[in-house]
Amino acid sequence: MTDPIPPAAAPGRFTAALAIARRDLVEFVRDRRTLFVTLLLPMVTYPIVALASALGLRTAVADIESRAATATLAVAVTGAEALPFAERLRAAAASPPRGGPAAADWPAGFEIEPLPDPVANRALASGAADVVVDAPAGTLAALDGDGTATVTARLSTSRDAEPGAARLWEALVANVAADTLARRARGAGLPRAFLEPLRVTFPDGPAAAPVAPSIGPTLVGSVLVLLAVLTLTGAFYPAIDAIAGEKERGTIETLLMAPCSTLQIVLGKFLAVFAITLATLAANVLSIAATGAAAVRMLPAGMSMEIAHPSAGSLATLVAFVGLAAIAAATCLAVTTASKSGKEAQNTLTPVILLVSALAGTALLPGLRGKAWLAAVPFAGQIVVSRLALVGAEGPAPGLPVPVLVALSLASAGALTALLLQGTALLLADEDILFRGPDAAPHGLARPARRKVPSVAQGAIPVVAGLALVWYLQGLAPGDLRLSIPLHQGIAVILPLVAMLAWQRVDTRTTLGLSFPGRGPRGAVTLVGAGLIGAGLFFLSAALLLALGGGDGSPAVRDLTRRLLDLLGNTPWWLSAVLMVLLPAVAEEALYRGWVLAAFAGVSPSRGRAVAAVAAQAVVFALAHLLPERMPATFALGLATGALRVLTGSILPSIVLHAVHNAVPLVLVAMAGGPGGEQLAEIATGGATRLPPAVVAAAALAVVVGAGLVGFAARRWDRGRSPVR
Amino acid sequence: MIVVRDLVKHYRAGDGSVVRAVDGVSFAVEPGEMVGLLGANGAGKTTTLRVLATLLAPTAGTASVAGCDASADPVAVRRRLGYVSATTGVPDRLTPREIFGSFGRLHGLDGAALADRVDRLVAALGLGACADRPAGRLSSGQRQRVSVGRALVHDPPALVLDEPTSALDVIGARDLLDILTGLRDAGHAILVSTHRLHEIERRCDRFVVIHGGRVVAAGTRDELVGPGGDLEQAFFAAVSAAGAR
Repeated sequence: MTDPIPPAAAPGRFTAALAIARRDLVEFVRDRRTLFVTLLLPMVTYPIVALASALGLRTAVADIESRAATATLAVAVTGAEALPFAERLRAAAASPPRGGPAAADWPAGFEIEPLPDPVANRALASGAADVVVDAPAGTLAALDGDGTATVTARLSTSRDAEPGAARLWEALVANVAADTLARRARGAGLPRAFLEPLRVTFPDGPAAAPVAPSIGPTLVGSVLVLLAVLTLTGAFYPAIDAIAGEKERGTIETLLMAPCSTLQIVLGKFLAVFAITLATLAANVLSIAATGAAAVRMLPAGMSMEIAHPSAGSLATLVAFVGLAAIAAATCLAVTTASKSGKEAQNTLTPVILLVSALAGTALLPGLRGKAWLAAVPFAGQIVVSRLALVGAEGPAPGLPVPVLVALSLASAGALTALLLQGTALLLADEDILFRGPDAAPHGLARPARRKVPSVAQGAIPVVAGLALVWYLQGLAPGDLRLSIPLHQGIAVILPLVAMLAWQRVDTRTTLGLSFPGRGPRGAVTLVGAGLIGAGLFFLSAALLLALGGGDGSPAVRDLTRRLLDLLGNTPWWLSAVLMVLLPAVAEEALYRGWVLAAFAGVSPSRGRAVAAVAAQAVVFALAHLLPERMPATFALGLATGALRVLTGSILPSIVLHAVHNAVPLVLVAMAGGPGGEQLAEIATGGATRLPPAVVAAAALAVVVGAGLVGFAARRWDRGRSPVR
Repeated sequence: MIVVRDLVKHYRAGDGSVVRAVDGVSFAVEPGEMVGLLGANGAGKTTTLRVLATLLAPTAGTASVAGCDASADPVAVRRRLGYVSATTGVPDRLTPREIFGSFGRLHGLDGAALADRVDRLVAALGLGACADRPAGRLSSGQRQRVSVGRALVHDPPALVLDEPTSALDVIGARDLLDILTGLRDAGHAILVSTHRLHEIERRCDRFVVIHGGRVVAAGTRDELVGPGGDLEQAFFAAVSAAGAR
């Protein structure tokens, strides 16, 4: 055994990664959970969804058809001319219209009776009559002359009345009006053609003209979101097993002793998880194809699932989703790396999967489909590109050909995957995360052990709790921003943070960075620098947003812009300042740059972990803002404020940066009364379509000068006092 | 072969306090020598071994294997060191042969050389009957032998083992120590940490006793143990004296 072995050649650049990937793959495929989720889940999910949808569709269509076929309108006519007006209505009911909108709403039958008032009212109350019409004296004279007859109609509110009564009644009234008009034209000696200026005929017969309605385009969006979520699910168990599982089994240290860099270990893990995720994608695609072929036969007659570009679109979808599989594998690995056990990893990963699924769903928002930059957004971009490739542009086209969009999506996925793997490598080698004990409480109601700063998992809890509260309470949110901003900040930010501070026994001063950033001039210089960065960042973000997507945003963003403008215009300046500047700056900085960042960075973090923590909290900050178009800007704001917190150890510069960033719109609107005011107001609310180059240059200069000032002051800062450095 | 000089490792606990896990430890292990690192729980044994294994970065001082510094060139150290930690497990779903193969590949072995190496390890560790059974179905003793085999797959000149017998019964512990003695006799430098003193009293060439992160006694058994005494008494005496200081 101890004979000298031939000296092993130094492993090549990817030898170690491939060896790890091979070993992990063997382990994965011997794990029945992984096999079930990877292969069986998609094979079962799509047929179930298709069967349920097809049955639902058939039932709905049959229901609509049977209602249309059996709908009968019961009309009670009262008033001085009840009898002759009822006759007139019967005549109109007996000759259904040949075309036009009224023909589509024509019921199967009419029951039209002249009745005394009390009887008619009772019938209306019980639902025996759907409509009661009062025809006063002079109604017929007006109809037969050239005046306008005015009758009053009341619809029954009884549950037994015909549900579409209003529509049917309007169709009948339209027919009476058409008959009257024809009679008046004849009386005036006008030719019949006078009332029909245009007639359309179908030479091939009416059956050939209308195209069978296709539910393909509608279906594609939902199927793509489902495909994204299930592909992500494919990475779930392998990622948990890959690192947290190794920690739980006590095998991670042996792996870290491998003669290669941590990045190569992570790369090996990634390759194995990626391979399983791709297998999941393949199983999903096969299941979709097989289910699609079967589902066509289940559709109601006259309906199809046709889409514009099935072949080329499918190819583009496959390529784009390979990118999605890579980000899914890298995201799941990155998230589970900080976990000590499989269970802990599962608890951490589940909310992330839900959050990412929500992000994928945003790809279907109507205002966003035509935006080229969305192709680069992870999880949503792949769906946008695939949908465009499969069904074509339905609204304004993104301006770039599909292959370019697919390439953009792939490049973005590649870059993000590389970044995530780097972050994972930093986290994996982190001593604190690698060797810390389990986070366990003696019983469910026991408060966690005293800590200097929260743990990584504790860091994410208030954000997830805040988002959950926002989701559940959104129905109660008032439309007025003066109420909804404090309410939103209260339930999404302040309440979860205060609850965590009260429950977790952490050092509040260290966690929230409650210190002044240096004594005397140094602190002042830092704060001035932070302010400059904040102001510059606002304009740079606005310029970036405009460059990426033009001025027209999604309906959600347009609505927010309108409400913000309304708030700025109709509220005293001090209230606007409290609502838009002070409240978000203090509350959000305390939560994200205080609690979350301190948790992600830990006590005395290494340089790598500090960088990873700043990036991770910026991602969480951006995601928590929910609107995809605002995410690049909020991510940049999160990065800048996070870097300041880490650099200075104090929350104050981050608050100043955030406050100045948010105060810019107020200042712009205040200046909007002067020359160029309209443009300033547009910039303030994100409604502008372009920014003058001089503004962009000045903003960039402000950021550079601000960063210089902060850097200058931070170099002289007493490093020993910074808790998150 | 294994040299630790003035090693210091401090870290911050969750409550922010500084823990001085290792506070100026020095010792060396020569080729063909087995040294016992003794200490109570929390004495600093595991931290010292983790620094040697390049899993922790030292706060100060050095740890080196075959002339390679664990901080400056961790990959070179990993190529020269076999490490079995107290909590080391083996992948349940792989067989011993697959485990040896995968770690051999990580060390650049391949083809016939790898197959030959795996066969030799299986034979030398007495794993022939279970070499193709998933490790999850092996006994604790067999799993620990697999763990040692995994650390030996690249034939490292130095071997570091942290509490290798803690999960084993008397027979399993004796078999494992027999294997280690054989490796020592073949010229490997072996560092074993344990608090089961009776098991290694007659096996190790020298002992280093650490307490509170510092070396409180070091030497051969005869140097540490007085006439008629045993290693356990000597250990208690050294630890008590350090505690009194």
